[in-house]
Amino acid sequence: MPEPTPAPGPQGPLRVVIAEDHYLVREGTRRLLEDTGEADVLAAVGTAAELLDAVARLRPDVVVADIRMPPSHHTEGITAAHAIREAHPGIGVVVLSQHANENYAFELFRRGTDGLAYLLKERIGEVDELLRALHEVAAGRSVVDPRIVEVLMGSHARGADAPLSRLTRRELDVLRHMAEGKTNRAIADSLRLSESTIEKHVNSTFAKLGLAEIPQLHRRVSAVLAYLRHAPPGPR
Amino acid sequence: MLWATLIGTTQLENRYVLPWVLGSVLPCYFAGLFTWWHAPSSPVARRLLLLGTWLSIASAVRHTTNLMIRELGWHLRPKVVGPVLPLDLGLQITHEMCNLAVSIIILRLLALLPDGRYAFRYERHVLRALWGLFALPILLPLAGVPQHIVYYIVFYYPEAWLPGIGAALLTVRCLRARATGRADVAALLPWAALGATVLLARAATRLFRSWQGEEGMFFFIGALLGALPYISISVTLVYAAFRHRLLGVDIVLRPSAVYGSLWFIINSWYLGMALTLGLTAGLFFPVGLSLLVAVVATALFRPLRDRLNTLVERRVFGKRLSRFELLVQFSTTLEHAYDLDRLAPQLATGLREGLGLRWVRVRLGGNGLPVSTAESGERPAAARPVKQFPLFYGDDTLGLIEYGPRTEGRSTPEDHAIGGTLARSAALAVHNVRLAAELCAHADEMQRQAAELAASRARIVHAQDTERRRIERRLHDGIQQDVVALVAKLALARNRLHRGGGIDSALTEMQDDAYRVIDELRELAHGIHPPILTDQGLVAAVTSCARRMPIPVTVQSGQSLAGVRYALDIEESAFYLVSEALTNVLKHARAGHVTVRITRSDGRLQVEVTDDGTGFPTATTHGSGLTGMRDRTEAVGGELTITSRAGTGTVIRARLPEHVREDTRA
Repeated sequence: MPEPTPAPGPQGPLRVVIAEDHYLVREGTRRLLEDTGEADVLAAVGTAAELLDAVARLRPDVVVADIRMPPSHHTEGITAAHAIREAHPGIGVVVLSQHANENYAFELFRRGTDGLAYLLKERIGEVDELLRALHEVAAGRSVVDPRIVEVLMGSHARGADAPLSRLTRRELDVLRHMAEGKTNRAIADSLRLSESTIEKHVNSTFAKLGLAEIPQLHRRVSAVLAYLRHAPPGPR
Repeated sequence: MLWATLIGTTQLENRYVLPWVLGSVLPCYFAGLFTWWHAPSSPVARRLLLLGTWLSIASAVRHTTNLMIRELGWHLRPKVVGPVLPLDLGLQITHEMCNLAVSIIILRLLALLPDGRYAFRYERHVLRALWGLFALPILLPLAGVPQHIVYYIVFYYPEAWLPGIGAALLTVRCLRARATGRADVAALLPWAALGATVLLARAATRLFRSWQGEEGMFFFIGALLGALPYISISVTLVYAAFRHRLLGVDIVLRPSAVYGSLWFIINSWYLGMALTLGLTAGLFFPVGLSLLVAVVATALFRPLRDRLNTLVERRVFGKRLSRFELLVQFSTTLEHAYDLDRLAPQLATGLREGLGLRWVRVRLGGNGLPVSTAESGERPAAARPVKQFPLFYGDDTLGLIEYGPRTEGRSTPEDHAIGGTLARSAALAVHNVRLAAELCAHADEMQRQAAELAASRARIVHAQDTERRRIERRLHDGIQQDVVALVAKLALARNRLHRGGGIDSALTEMQDDAYRVIDELRELAHGIHPPILTDQGLVAAVTSCARRMPIPVTVQSGQSLAGVRYALDIEESAFYLVSEALTNVLKHARAGHVTVRITRSDGRLQVEVTDDGTGFPTATTHGSGLTGMRDRTEAVGGELTITSRAGTGTVIRARLPEHVREDTRA
C-alpha cells in the first residue's frame, strides 16, 4: 500500500539512503551531501539487497543508487529503483551511472519517469546539481543528465514519423532544457530569450505532442516522457 | 517343294518323296537360312538356298513328269531314237538340267567348304568350267553322239560323280591350305578325305545300281547313298560354322537361338532319316520287317542325334563363358579407371573387338567433367550408328557409346545387351572419376581453407596485440599523464594555500581536469567492450552507436529480435562488424545516409549495413578493415559478403550462426 509521503521542504533536510559498492565514492558522496546541511544520510550501503532492506526500514525521502552493484555488476541500480518506486511511490530515486548511454536512461524510465533521475556519476562533484535532482525526484518529478539529452538531441537516428520530428529546432531546444528539469525562467536565461517566448514555445510543443489538456506540472513530465519514448528508434 | 510332295505322296504313292523332302531338301533350306541369318553376305548361304530350291524344282519336275507318264502313257526310258513329243522331251530335259544344276552346286559347296570363297586360282577355273556341262546336250548331238550316250555323259555320270569330285577337290584344297598355313581349312582334311571316299564309293554304287536295275537291296543302299551329299552338306556346313567360326558366325552371341535352330535341324534330319529308312524298307520288305528296320534305324540314329545335340549344346552354351569373360575383363578395366583419356580408347577398342563391330565411338565426361572422345575402327562419313547408349547416372548424362554394324552378320539383341551393360558400367566408372575429381577439389578447398584459417588466426592475434598496445599507450601516455598532472596541480594548490592564497580557481580547474579523465576512461572502457552490449544486447548497442554518428543512421530490427540475447561472441562480432562498417562509411564513403538492418532468417542472424556513398571496387580493395571484419565474422562461423559498385554505395552483409542465449529479458 502506498504510504503518505513525508512533506519535503524547508522544515528539514532530505532524508537520504546511499547505495554504492565503491567505498571511497560511497563515503565521499555521504560527506558531500552532509556538508551541505540540506541532506541527512540515514544509511550508506554496498549492495542492492541492503538498499531495499534499508529503504523498507528507514523510509527515506530519496535514494541515491549506483547503477552497477554486486553481485553481477550490471544494472542492479535500475532494478532496485523500479522495486522501490513500486513498493514506495513516495520515495524518489536518483540513479548514478558511469554510462553516458541513453539506453540505460530508457531502461530506467521504461515504466514511467515520475520520481526518477538518471545522472552521470561525476555529478557528485557538482553537489548543487545533485541536490537539485534529489529535491526534484523527492517531489515526484524527473531529471535526466544533460549529457544524455545532448546525445539524443544531436542524434540523427530518429524515425521520420515520430512526434518529435514535428518540432522546430527552437522547440527541441526548449524541450531539452525541460528534460533537464529547468523552469521556464531558467530556460529563458539559458537561451537568452524572454520568458514569454519560452512559454509560447512550451505551449506549441505541448500542442504538437498532444499534451494540451493535461495539467501544467504533469505536462512537463509527460513532454520529457514523450521525448524519451520517441527519441530512440530502438527495440522498445 | 510342296507341289512335289503333294504329287509324289498322293498321286504316285511314291514313298520316297516325304523322306526325301524331310531328309534332304528341308535341311538345305534350314542350313541356308541359318547361314544367311548370321552371315547374309556369305556365298554359302546363297548356294544352300539355291540348292534347296533346285532340289525342290527338280523334284517337282520329276514327279510332274512321272504323273504325266502314268496319266498320258508317256514312255521316256529307255530312250529310243525317233520322233518324241516336244512336251515330254522338254520336261525330261528340264528335270535332268535341274539335277545337273543341283550336282554342280553340291560340288561347288563341297569344294569350297567351309567359307564358300575361292582360296586358290585353280578352284575358280575348275568350278567355272563345270557350267560348261550345260552346253553338252546341244554340242554332243551335233557332234553325232547317239542320244542315250549323250544322256549318260551329260546327266547320269555327272550326277553320280560330281559330289565325289567335289569332295576330292576339297581334299586337295585342305592339303594346299595346310601347305599355305590356313589352319582353319586344313582342319577339315579328315572330314574331306572321308567324304571323298564315301562319295566316290557312292558314285561307284550308283553305276553299279544302273546295272542292277531299280530294285533289290543294292538299289536301296544306292538310294540311301544318293541322298548322302544333300544331307551331309547341310550338317557339315553347320558343324563347320560352329566348330571353326568359319562363316563369321559368332556363336557366343545368340546361344538360345542358335541352339534352337540347330536342335530343329538335327531333329528334322533325324526324323527324315528314320522315315526314309522305314519307308524305303517298306518298298522292298514285308511290313513287319520294314517296321523293324524303321525301329532299328530310329534306335541307331538316336545316339547320333543325341551326340550331335550334346555337341551343339556344349559348343553353344560352353562358349557363353567367354562372353562373361569379356564383361569381367571390361569391368576390371572400368573399376581401375581414373583417367577418362585412357579409358575411352580402351572401351572403344574392347567393345569393337568383343562384338566384332565395324566402328565404335565413345564419349566420356560432360556434366562438369572434361570430355574424352575415342573412336575405334573406320567410321564411314555420315554413317548412322546402329545403336546409341547414353551414359546415365541418376539424372546426369555422363557420355555416350555408339557403334556401327558388325563386320559379319547383324547385331543381335544380345549384342546390344552387352553394349547396354558396358554403358552402365562405364557410367559408373565416369561417375567414380567425377567423385574422385570432386574429392580432390574438396581436399584442395580444405587445404586452402586451413591455410586461410591459419592466416586469419594470425591476423586476429596480431590485431589483438595491436589493440592491447593501443590501450596500454592510451593509459600510460594519456590518462596516467593527466592524473600525474592533476597530482601536480594539487601540490601547487596546497603550496598556495599554505602561503595564504585563494585556491578556488585552481580547484575548479582540477575538477574539470578530473572530468576529462573520467570521460577518457569511459571512452576507453567503451572501446574495449561497450557495456551496453553486455547489459542490453546487440540492438540497443547498435542503436546507441548509431545515435552517435554524425550522419543519419537508421536502425531496423525485426520484432523477433526483441529481448533475444545471442551468445556473447556472436553479439560482439556483430557489433564489431557494425561499428567497423560505420567507421569505414565515415572514413571513405562520403555517404548521406546509412541503414543498419538486423534480422533473423533461416536460422541465422543477419546483419546488413547499407550506405548510399561512393562505393568501391570490391575485387581490388583489400583494406585491413575489410579483412578484419571478414576474420571476425568467419571466426564465429559466419560469412561476410561485400557488395559495392562505384556510385551505388556499399552493402556489407554478415550471416552469423544463431546461438541464442537463455532469454533473460523476455
